[in-house]
Amino acid sequence: MNQANKSSPPAIEDPRKRAMLLAALYLAQEQHGWLSPEAIRRVADRLELSTGQVMSTASFYTMFKLEPQGKYHIQVCEGLSCYLVDGAETIIDHIARRLKIKPGQTTPDGRFTLEVVQCLAACDLAPALKVNDELYGHMTLESIDTLLEKLERS
Amino acid sequence: MPTVNITIDGKKIQAELGQTVLQAARAAGIHIPVLCDHPALPPEGACRICLVEIEKQRALQPACTFPVTEGLVVETHSQRVMAARKFTLELLISDHPLDCMTCDATGDCLLQDLAYEYGVAGDRFKGKQHHYPITDPNPFIQVDRNKCILCRRCVRACQYINGVEAISVFYRGFNAYIGFGADGNMQDSPCEFCGSCVAVCPTAALWPKMSIGKGRPWQVKKVDTICSYCGVGCKLTLHVKDNEIIQVEGAWDGPANRGWTCVKGRFGYDYVHHPDRVKKPKVRRYLLEGKKKSRKGNAWEWVETDWDTALDITARRMLEVRKEAGASSLGVLASAKCLNEENYLMNKFARQVIGTNNIDHCARLCHSSTVAGLAISFGSGAMSNSIEDVTGQAQAFFVIGSNTTEQHPVIGMRIRQAVRQRGAALIVADPRRIDLCDFATLHLQHKPGTDIALLNGLMYIIIEKGWADEKFIAERTEGFEEFKQTIQQYPPERVSQITGVPVEQLYQAAEILGTAKPMAALWAMGITQHTTGVHNVMSLANLQMLTGNMGIPGGGVNPLRGQNNVQGACDMGGLPNVYPAYQPVASEEARKKFEAAWGTPLSPEPGRTVTELIPDILKGKTKALYILGEDPVMSDPDTNHVRECLEKIDFLVLQELFPSETEPYADVFLPGVSFAEKTGTFTNTERRVQMVRQAIQPPGEARPDWEIIRDLAVRMLAERSLNPDAPYAGWDYASTSDIMDEINALAPSYAGITHERLEKGESLQWPCPSTDHPGTPILHTKGFTRGKGKFMSIDHVPPAELPDPEYPMVLSTGRVLYHWHGGQMSRRAKGLLEIYPQALIEISHEDAEKLGLNGTKRVRVSSRRGSIEAEAMVTDRVPPGMVYANFHFPEASANELTIAALDPLAKIPEYKVCAVRVESLK
Repeated sequence: MNQANKSSPPAIEDPRKRAMLLAALYLAQEQHGWLSPEAIRRVADRLELSTGQVMSTASFYTMFKLEPQGKYHIQVCEGLSCYLVDGAETIIDHIARRLKIKPGQTTPDGRFTLEVVQCLAACDLAPALKVNDELYGHMTLESIDTLLEKLERS
Repeated sequence: MPTVNITIDGKKIQAELGQTVLQAARAAGIHIPVLCDHPALPPEGACRICLVEIEKQRALQPACTFPVTEGLVVETHSQRVMAARKFTLELLISDHPLDCMTCDATGDCLLQDLAYEYGVAGDRFKGKQHHYPITDPNPFIQVDRNKCILCRRCVRACQYINGVEAISVFYRGFNAYIGFGADGNMQDSPCEFCGSCVAVCPTAALWPKMSIGKGRPWQVKKVDTICSYCGVGCKLTLHVKDNEIIQVEGAWDGPANRGWTCVKGRFGYDYVHHPDRVKKPKVRRYLLEGKKKSRKGNAWEWVETDWDTALDITARRMLEVRKEAGASSLGVLASAKCLNEENYLMNKFARQVIGTNNIDHCARLCHSSTVAGLAISFGSGAMSNSIEDVTGQAQAFFVIGSNTTEQHPVIGMRIRQAVRQRGAALIVADPRRIDLCDFATLHLQHKPGTDIALLNGLMYIIIEKGWADEKFIAERTEGFEEFKQTIQQYPPERVSQITGVPVEQLYQAAEILGTAKPMAALWAMGITQHTTGVHNVMSLANLQMLTGNMGIPGGGVNPLRGQNNVQGACDMGGLPNVYPAYQPVASEEARKKFEAAWGTPLSPEPGRTVTELIPDILKGKTKALYILGEDPVMSDPDTNHVRECLEKIDFLVLQELFPSETEPYADVFLPGVSFAEKTGTFTNTERRVQMVRQAIQPPGEARPDWEIIRDLAVRMLAERSLNPDAPYAGWDYASTSDIMDEINALAPSYAGITHERLEKGESLQWPCPSTDHPGTPILHTKGFTRGKGKFMSIDHVPPAELPDPEYPMVLSTGRVLYHWHGGQMSRRAKGLLEIYPQALIEISHEDAEKLGLNGTKRVRVSSRRGSIEAEAMVTDRVPPGMVYANFHFPEASANELTIAALDPLAKIPEYKVCAVRVESLK
């Protein structure tokens, strides 16, 4: 836990400990982009829950990452709109071939993780994808290449 | 509870408001099938097998969660319901191994039963199937996720029964599975291997590894008995096939455990079958050759012999010693692990046959201070309440000097349940941060040996704040004024100084203890094993009188007795100063009663204790000992001195199961049998007398201990003539039931407790003065045994040996969950030894750093008595300045270091405090 996340929280009372679990996990994940065993343990200690319970909750949600993620977490939407505009499949294929990884994997240099996600609710921008918290819309193979080059250089 | 009228399958039933349809059906004897539900666990509503059709409900409803209301109409087996159940089963079976032929759960599998009933063959749905590897390496429980139906019974058992919450469901949908800790191996999780999960698992997903392939449920003979480990007295069901125990379960109707067990009871039974079991009597060669005793060379060789020879030699030698040096030069050690009936015989053997009151046993080492202390305060030295009312009704628990979750695990579980589910308060007073502190309201981490100051300090505040129960004090006690004067010397500041407990915590604790009612005080070795043990106990009696918590459910003084039958061994007169049922040896009336019964004059002088008998060997006062089921070399303090003494004894007869650490000093070894090989009774810590039943035949020529004692007595009495009118002079017992008849006649508190009543299913706690008396769950309800309870004025006195510059640290000693005392049984249980293979020394992080401990972390711990080397366990359980060692392993036993400083009244050693030096071994 870094200082910002640790600073002056009020004493946590039962039974609201469990209610804070999702938020706590989200904060913990923000630190390093994933929930390491150490992070799980710290959340458990802080909320006075067992590591099993915390891990059980964390593993339930795909948004909680239990493995280290790349610096750039590419989330390609495969919702209906993105799929129908001849988007999702093609885009996923293209990025996968370019980065030489399969969806769900991270490049060996730790720079990119490719994930296929459900609807990003950006149907007016279909086909859409996110890189970390940034949303990119109306993607074409060229704009994807440009984006990847920019990220590779940074 | 208000009732409602409902109809299930056309049958009109009265149900309680607040019940579910399933509970109402069960109560009315109507069967609704379930998979995820279990009567001992909260409902889950996961499996959808208990779906029922309820009038006015559109969808089918799970009976396990649907609450009853007035006028409810339920169909449990309508066509719609049957079709839904079958569908669910088809789905479950579509991803389940169809290997019933080799599956251990065949014949004992809920899923199999339902598949049979609903005609589910597994051919309806084809799809992805799981193929999990079976890899969990722990020695006790096999985890086969392929057979898991995700009913979550195990998750709930671990959460609500044991409470360590080691099991969770990870991921979801098709990827969901049961995992342990943070999704690792069971032994890396908080799991304590109590096996509650195994007990409730409906399939073979969780199965005891030791039982795999050993037998089918219909090939097995089931025998109910009582556990041979601790004083909780869990009722167990042994599964026996071909004279082997192949599985152990907790019995659901066990009064103390209600079906639950700990790792030792459930998985530590294989010591019974260990090849080390001695199968023939043996004697030292010098005895066979009629030579003088020599512990050197051939003369000291063990020679196996037949029973007649061994018993003849034993009787002859004992009679010789008695003739040469007098009856009081002999001593008898009864056994807290043997049956009541056997302990009674040992008491009769010592007193009638030998003519001495030198009978004692290991209670001396553990709760002799409790017995003595409570006898003075109340007139009676036993746990006043029952496990059921204490764990079920106490508003607050005061647990002092007891590592309950490790030493009395099932009671620990029940306390945890009370705290978590009922909201009871828990105050733990212990120098170590034990597991119990994890769910304690307050942990008073006082310095070892400062219990009196702590208790007096708490009582000071209770009196100051007006929380004392004045009515109770006035009506039921005496000595209050003098006691109050003493308490005034213990204001919070002084107490905080002595104990190290912050003043604020003293006030917090006192408030809970003084205002929560009923409040139960529980204790064990942390209170008793001190030079001030008796005074520690009396202080607790003071506390419970002060707060008016005596004689009421949920309150009381609750010393947790250690061994499976230490309570019984005491009750049966296995003590030097009392006959059975605590009738004093010094009382002329009592003595005359037993003289008349046994037909011979008896010695009026109380005998010597274990902690005196053995050191007295060197003084020439003890010439011979007959030891039953006890290992003084492992259990007594100052091992080197014990060995020194036993080397010099004239004649030592050892009757037990294994070649223990005491065996090298024995002249004769008589092989007795385990709890599974004889029938009789044990008495647990709540004074409950329970049936122990023979399940298997003993190995080789080992014989039931009561028969051995009997045959020895007959030989030794051969030359004597006892009074022919004495009704109980003889030893012609054909069964332990015969012995119990004699106990009924001579021990008033056991007078109404017979094998017959117990076999009929009655559950009896003494005192039970007649065969129509129901037994006594709570003592001192109307008056104390001595009339009024006596307040005792007790002052703080420090322990005998505190740290000094040469030995700068405190050593405290005790046990761990996985082993039992000297380890003769638990080290011979394969799984227990595997999971905890060596002695560990607990040391704090600060001290570890100061010592420069890293790498293999081996240390040498030395005291003025001796020295041991073992691996250090760096932990925050012990405070800086203290180390903690156990006495389970002879290679590194804590008792090499402990001091034989005794409480002056109880003669109990101060195992809990002595001074040591710790060095790191490179």
